[in-house]
Amino acid sequence: MNPALGQLDAARSLALGDGRYYGTIIPGVLPIIGPSASASLEVRRWGADFLAEAFASPAWGADEKQASALTVLATLKDYVEGVDDRSVVKSAIQAAASIYPLVYRYIISNPNDAQNWQLMLAIKSNILARMDAAPPGVRICCVKFLQQIILVQTPGVIDPRRPDPNDISLALVPRSHPLIPYVSLEAEGHGLLDRMLGILHGDHSDALLVTATLNSLGMLMQRRPIAVNKILASVFNFNPLKLANSPMTPKNKVIMKSIERTTRALLMNVMKRNPDGPNTGRIQQYLERMHRMRLDVFDESNRKRPAPVEPTDGLDQSKRQRLAANVPVAAPVVPPLPPGPVSFRQLFTLNPDGNTANFDVQAFKDPEQLLRILMPVLQSIDEARLGSAINAVRSRWVNLSKATPRPPSAPNTAGPVVDDEEEYEPDFEPEDAEQIVNRIDGGLSSNNFPDRIPDAPLAPYKLPEAPPLSEQEVQKHGDMTVRRAFGMLGAVDEKEKGKVTKGGFNRLAASDYGRDAWVTILARLATRANAGLDDPEEGIKDEHAVKRAKGNTNISEAVRDGLYQYIMNDWKKRIDVAISWLNEEWYNDTILSQSSHLAAKLNGTSTSAASSGLPKGNYQRTTLRLLDGILPYIEHTDKILLRFLSEIPALDHAILARMKKMADDPERIELAIMVLQYLYMFRPPVRSMVVDTLVDLWRDNDRAQASARKLLVRWRPEVLEQGGGGGGAAADVKSEGVSDKESANGALEVKAAS
Amino acid sequence: MSADPRLARSRPQQQQPVAVPPPPPPPPPMEPQPIGMGMDGANDAPASSAAVPDNKYKLKFCTVCASNQNRSMEAHLQLAAAQLPTISFGTGSLVRLPGPTIHQPNVYNFNSTTYRAIHQELSSQNAQLYTQNGLLNMLGRNLTIKGYPERFQDWVPGRPRLDHAEDQGAPGTEAGVVDIIFTCEERCFDAVLEDLHNKGGKLNRPVHVFNVDIRDNHEEALVGGKAILDLALSLNEAAGNEREAYGQGGWDMGGGAARQGFDERVPDILAAWQERWPQMPALWSLAWF
Repeated sequence: MNPALGQLDAARSLALGDGRYYGTIIPGVLPIIGPSASASLEVRRWGADFLAEAFASPAWGADEKQASALTVLATLKDYVEGVDDRSVVKSAIQAAASIYPLVYRYIISNPNDAQNWQLMLAIKSNILARMDAAPPGVRICCVKFLQQIILVQTPGVIDPRRPDPNDISLALVPRSHPLIPYVSLEAEGHGLLDRMLGILHGDHSDALLVTATLNSLGMLMQRRPIAVNKILASVFNFNPLKLANSPMTPKNKVIMKSIERTTRALLMNVMKRNPDGPNTGRIQQYLERMHRMRLDVFDESNRKRPAPVEPTDGLDQSKRQRLAANVPVAAPVVPPLPPGPVSFRQLFTLNPDGNTANFDVQAFKDPEQLLRILMPVLQSIDEARLGSAINAVRSRWVNLSKATPRPPSAPNTAGPVVDDEEEYEPDFEPEDAEQIVNRIDGGLSSNNFPDRIPDAPLAPYKLPEAPPLSEQEVQKHGDMTVRRAFGMLGAVDEKEKGKVTKGGFNRLAASDYGRDAWVTILARLATRANAGLDDPEEGIKDEHAVKRAKGNTNISEAVRDGLYQYIMNDWKKRIDVAISWLNEEWYNDTILSQSSHLAAKLNGTSTSAASSGLPKGNYQRTTLRLLDGILPYIEHTDKILLRFLSEIPALDHAILARMKKMADDPERIELAIMVLQYLYMFRPPVRSMVVDTLVDLWRDNDRAQASARKLLVRWRPEVLEQGGGGGGAAADVKSEGVSDKESANGALEVKAAS
Repeated sequence: MSADPRLARSRPQQQQPVAVPPPPPPPPPMEPQPIGMGMDGANDAPASSAAVPDNKYKLKFCTVCASNQNRSMEAHLQLAAAQLPTISFGTGSLVRLPGPTIHQPNVYNFNSTTYRAIHQELSSQNAQLYTQNGLLNMLGRNLTIKGYPERFQDWVPGRPRLDHAEDQGAPGTEAGVVDIIFTCEERCFDAVLEDLHNKGGKLNRPVHVFNVDIRDNHEEALVGGKAILDLALSLNEAAGNEREAYGQGGWDMGGGAARQGFDERVPDILAAWQERWPQMPALWSLAWF
């Protein structure tokens, strides 16, 4: 053993005992291991290992390391440039990877020390030059060096609350640094990251490099969030099972499994560190896909091995295929076609015994699933094999067409399909012809070209134009669209349960995709979509003519029906929908009546409906319909009715008459009285109407008399004094009027519902 | 001790194999023994060579299992017996040993509870039970190897391990780094890769991480230890070759496989090893300290 080594080892033990000694030991050993000394290979190996160990040591402070780092640059340069020994170079690169950030930080604060920076750059360019050509064992160390460059030459997280003095990053570099210009550092950092990620998409048989790269990406993502998306995008495009197409040698198998596992560990680490991160979903998808692919690749081979019927002498079809896979030039043996007429399926099936031939694609019910499988399969197709397969089919085809030149009219297996196609797209004949010319130019001699081929379904396929829809169909599809909108509304409903919606003046209607927004949109669709489109001559009266409205444009009615059904499905919870819908109806009616009023004025004509100015179009009709729909379900405890009647925008006798009707049920008398009382108290404009209704109630309903009387004593005592006698003529007239209206509206309603 | 409901799940799988088999054989003999499996006359050259002489180049090894008790310690012993520098760890959150029932495992802290203390506690608890299921035997072996179970995640690579000089396999591991890590199940393999990501690769030093799937019982641990030793010797030989082949003249000397460096031969070595030990599915990755 070299006597010098003994001394060196003793020095090393000293440093291992206490990291602070490194500072004094390194100057001591440099003359022995350094470039000036004609040191033996043994000593240089020791020196490189020692430097790598020293500058990696967690027991030695970074600041002291930085001071010593400058003194060893010359030695490291000598090692990487002048020593032709792999282990020296490997250790020297490791040491350089530890030293680069230290020198970099030193240069940031000492911008005039060009000499040391030149030394570092010389080492750096030597290492980068080795990147592509060096043996893999050295290249992995270069990758790690690359990682350190990328780390310090990309901006770190600048959080003024938590400055990390140990995070050496581009953020520390002043823009005006003379030796290390910010922009070029940044560009180099990005470029080197691309180069590093490029390794993932290179040759996978070099698993050493691939796993070394994957394992160095985790820390980069952890400390440089700016690079996360780029790295992840690259990893997502990375196929760990790329080798699945090459022969399943034990080595390839273990490599594939290892790469896959390493990728998984990397992604799991990213996910664990930031479980709510924006990338979690995509990572999970990727992992799932990889898992399935792995099962595909490995289970198949596992299944094959223990099969007892399989001949083990290597003559088995499936085995031969696998072995032949790495020699794509030796094309797989293509069995001849069976005699007689052949189907397209037979024509394209090159390996009738293979299990893919008998595979029924229809087994996949979910097209998504099929896509997920198909894409990787397509990506993994070996080009050479595909080429030879195409050639095989092509030669079969040529032989076939030579052997049996068929007249175009002769029925063949593909006949019906082709005919169908002709029927479908007679218009595209010219384009087909052009395609054919192209394909003939593409290499097939026209002599061999059979006549039927022009129609083979290879030309670009365009969907035939759909026949015009009939009126019924238009209506049907329209209805379906509306139904679908409400189906979606129901789905949104489920989600938003318990969510407090923001009210207030700053709220913008229909500004998000919540339930309220859709309700607003639908209500306005119902009320405004075709408002004012009716013949203006007929005036606003038309709004009453439900029949006619249904006859021509029934979008509004369809949406109204939908809204009605939607509300009725859960009317207690959806009373707010009803209210906002009715508000929209009322608003639209008012606007329409105003505009028609205006128009009438301008025209000088005046219909009675227009001049009345009362918003009694769709609003009243729909309100009554809704109320009639709800009333049968109302129980005497349902105070929600109070809310409904107090919040809808307008009340009239017909609506209030429903209260009277409800009071026919002795159980709900109190509720009816309560509604009337509430309206009297909080809706002064309708007071007289309310009292009129109450009077009717008092007169016509014996059971309600007691309760009604209590209120009438306060509100209209004169009625009570007159009693039920003829003195109440005025009231009688009124009640008659009400009942008239009611029946009229009732009739309307029947029409609307029909 | 009271049963920890969190442990109830992991217990049944682990305890079953330990509790059922008859008392295991006495602690494995210290003298190097021939490798029983994979003796096909061609591939056992590295395996049959016993201890690696001190003047040869030696890789540094690390064995890892869940609790740093059974599988990693068996492998630690065998590697150390072959004069290879070895340290060992567990990746679990706690040291878990079978207890009187499935739901009452014995749980200890890593890094502080010595094998001797565990041995004493268990022998005072129920000497007969723990002798019968082999626990005392195992602990007795362990306390001759090193002081206490260590947790992988708490390990600071690169911190000198001069305080472990008494451990078996300590010579060569003073600097606190290794070249090879062997894990004994996929969970540990994942935990090691994950932890190395978290440690951030500050040392810029490559480490080959291998997983060798070994079931957690005494018999399998013994066989697994032999398999790991076989792999370790193969790797060590290749690494030694690299040092010698490029010793004097540079990289152009030598030919064929010998021209390849150690690192790039690892997949081939592993594949050849896998052929010899097909019942222990292996994984591998080049990670960073």
